[in-house]
Amino acid sequence: MIKTKYTLTSVESNSITSQTLPDGIAEFDSVGMNRIELLTFVLSGRRSTTEPHALTTKSHYIKFGCWIFLFCAYNGLMLYFSELLNRKVFTEDNIFVGKLGDLVFKLSDSAEITKVVVKAKLDPKTIVDIADVVKLNGSIVLKKNYHTKTLEENELYVSKNLLDSQVIDISGDKMVRVNDVAIQNQPILYIAGVDIGLIGFLRWFGLEDLANKLFNRFGIKLRSQFLSWVDIQTLELSRGHVKIKTEQTKLQKIKPEDLADYLEQTNMENIGQVLRSFTLDHAGEVLNNLNLNYQVEFFKRNELKEAAHFMSHMEPEEAADVLVALPKKKREGLLELLNETARNQIEHLLSISVSPVGDIVSTEFLTFDSNVTAKEVLKTIKELGSDYGEIHYVFFLNTDKQMVGGSSLRSVIIQQPDTPAFKFMRPQIEMVSLSTPVSVVWKKLLKYQYNVLPVVDKNRQMIGLVKISDVGELINK
Amino acid sequence: MIKAFVNRWFRPLFIFLAVLGPSVIGTMAGNDGAGVITYSFAGAKLGYIALLTLPLLTIFYAVTQEIGSRIAIVTGKGLGDIIRERFGIRVAFFVFAALIIANFGTIVTNVAALKTASVMLGIPSIPFIVATIIFCFLLITRTEYEKSQKIFLTGMVFYFAYVFSAFKGNPNWGDALKGMFIPDEKMFTKDFLLISIAILGTTITPWGQFFVQSYMKDKKVPIGRLKYAQLEAYIGAFLSNFFTFFIIVATAATLYVHKISLTSGESAATAIKPFAGDFAGVLFAVGLVNAAIIGIVIVSLTSAYAFSEFFGFAGSLDNPYKKEKAFYLNFLISMILAAILVFTPWFSLFRIVIFTQSLNGVLLPIFFYYLLKIVNDKELMGPHINGKKYNWFSIGCTIFIGLAAISAMVIQFIG
Repeated sequence: MIKTKYTLTSVESNSITSQTLPDGIAEFDSVGMNRIELLTFVLSGRRSTTEPHALTTKSHYIKFGCWIFLFCAYNGLMLYFSELLNRKVFTEDNIFVGKLGDLVFKLSDSAEITKVVVKAKLDPKTIVDIADVVKLNGSIVLKKNYHTKTLEENELYVSKNLLDSQVIDISGDKMVRVNDVAIQNQPILYIAGVDIGLIGFLRWFGLEDLANKLFNRFGIKLRSQFLSWVDIQTLELSRGHVKIKTEQTKLQKIKPEDLADYLEQTNMENIGQVLRSFTLDHAGEVLNNLNLNYQVEFFKRNELKEAAHFMSHMEPEEAADVLVALPKKKREGLLELLNETARNQIEHLLSISVSPVGDIVSTEFLTFDSNVTAKEVLKTIKELGSDYGEIHYVFFLNTDKQMVGGSSLRSVIIQQPDTPAFKFMRPQIEMVSLSTPVSVVWKKLLKYQYNVLPVVDKNRQMIGLVKISDVGELINK
Repeated sequence: MIKAFVNRWFRPLFIFLAVLGPSVIGTMAGNDGAGVITYSFAGAKLGYIALLTLPLLTIFYAVTQEIGSRIAIVTGKGLGDIIRERFGIRVAFFVFAALIIANFGTIVTNVAALKTASVMLGIPSIPFIVATIIFCFLLITRTEYEKSQKIFLTGMVFYFAYVFSAFKGNPNWGDALKGMFIPDEKMFTKDFLLISIAILGTTITPWGQFFVQSYMKDKKVPIGRLKYAQLEAYIGAFLSNFFTFFIIVATAATLYVHKISLTSGESAATAIKPFAGDFAGVLFAVGLVNAAIIGIVIVSLTSAYAFSEFFGFAGSLDNPYKKEKAFYLNFLISMILAAILVFTPWFSLFRIVIFTQSLNGVLLPIFFYYLLKIVNDKELMGPHINGKKYNWFSIGCTIFIGLAAISAMVIQFIG
């Protein structure tokens, strides 16, 4: 039988009882299992002892999380921050130093605890390196001549920055608040994960055991809701004015649309830090998805040069909307600093932003002379393609720069390389003008099953194009 | 030239109107059902000198609302969020528990006010209250932030009923103005002290502090609009007490002047009928219904927001109903429980009201202690921290409010 004090679930006498759970948490019916069987079960990634083969994507998280928990269950050392806080700290020769105030950890995938903070009489923020900590269970013992240190660039406090703050639950796709922090002792001291459930809450009042007993009377098993460190992303990325450099792989895994939603639930400080820690391209994508208020606020708060960098990597339509909302000075300043492609596209959009379809016209289009060959079209796309967000269709012009036809990418690709465009292009493509009402555009897109429609002026020269997704969004509003 | 003129004056006005909302609504909710009853009672018992409390009250109210707005805009968080993040789970829990109990009491008082109003208007109580609760629930669940704001602001219009009632009562405006600005010896009576503290306690409330921040956060006001929001706080406080003025005058001019004693604030409307006319009496009751609805909706909303902020379930008016079940269930439960309490004869309504008013009063200094700590925290507020002079002023207000609240408690237990 496995005897543990710190487990995933409520412990009833000597067994761990179970139920299947969604999202990164699991429990086991281990009555009668020995250690080997249990370990094997965990490593198999199965989510339940009753379900034979349940290898879902989430099971990989469970595996990792449970692995830690059970491992420590065997070795008996899962510590909770709520239990560590305010423990008495002594030196090796039994001199009382103070009480434990906080822990410092490194913001990385491994989340090692690097320092402890002791509330000493003389200095309530005595920071001691973890190497100087001799023992952590029971009372805390430091080496005789412990050294005090300061925090490094990528270190954060557990109590200040992680506990009680809102974090993104990556696999569960939502924001949650950290009720308690679970710390593992093997092989070194590190943060295993966070407790976001009721038990974490109750632990602060010492009611965990009582509640377990109470609920067990009614046959309800109280489960600890644990999220492992890899599954969460904290957004508190600063200590006062110090900005943290972090490995942002976790944040970058989250889809830009989702991340924008999460960020909107926090404040501008967090948004700024997160965006600045990304590559410009990725930051641009996230910016595209932020609510206009946040976009405007972000650009207001940043210096022109930096802001211009970000703006160049946003979609021109989004950038144009933001620019319109900014005060004149800032707008003009930013426009000046943008890179040429971006600036031209945006200025173009700004000038036509008054018409009905004009609001959603995109300037990302490729045109060619109708005599070019398929080979040349492909070559150009390869060269310029990374500058454009999407290319569905290319358009062809005559010598007067008038629209004469278009072709889907597929069509271009399947051609013999030397076929001239006028042979494979579609000559009678639908066009709309800036004054075409959105509803008409919509009907055309649906009727002819197009992804895009070109927008031309009265001389049949191309101004821009309308994408079906943009029209759809507009209509949905 | 004209364009420049328009740009200079109208642009700020439009921005202001766009930001307008949270503080005005929050301060208006200070005139909830419990408030109206308290003010009418004050006017009837003390006459025009009850107005003496108003100028100082407005200033205090404005200060507290401004601090709340500023914190919400600068940090993007509600008061519950900040208390939880700064002070941890234990403090959060106790503050939350205290808030919920106090809020519940306020809701009960408002539902009682509904009952009273229905009696005044001669409508059967139970169906009326049930209908009103359903109305309140739909109001919150079916509307997004923008719409709910418009509805709340429209509800403000009904407060003019009191202005009308006041005029109909043929008040002596000279006396009223005198009463408001010139101290009178009658100030030192026990009655005056108790009633003015009651007025304070029903205007500046813990839930008022929470609400302005939560609502402001929900509205996502950008920091560039901070000045407008601060202006709004001052205007909101002024507007709210503007109506309070007329409520007090309405009963002062009729009941006090004619030496009619009120057994309870509830019979105010019936009592003023002989002096101000039937219509004025009806308007008074309608105003009470409006005030009670606003109180119920906003206080319940505050409890729900607080729960979300303290314990992490997302809560915002812009999220669809299905997603935030916990949020809305919270809301519904408090309202239903309150309704039950009002209708069962087992609990003395009066006792509950007194208890919760006192609780509100006692909790106020505690909340303001945290509030001041937060607004002085450089890490949190950055450059928008309280300026030195303003800080002394805010601390002074808090101490005053605290002393008043405690003395009220003491007097009630002694006297």
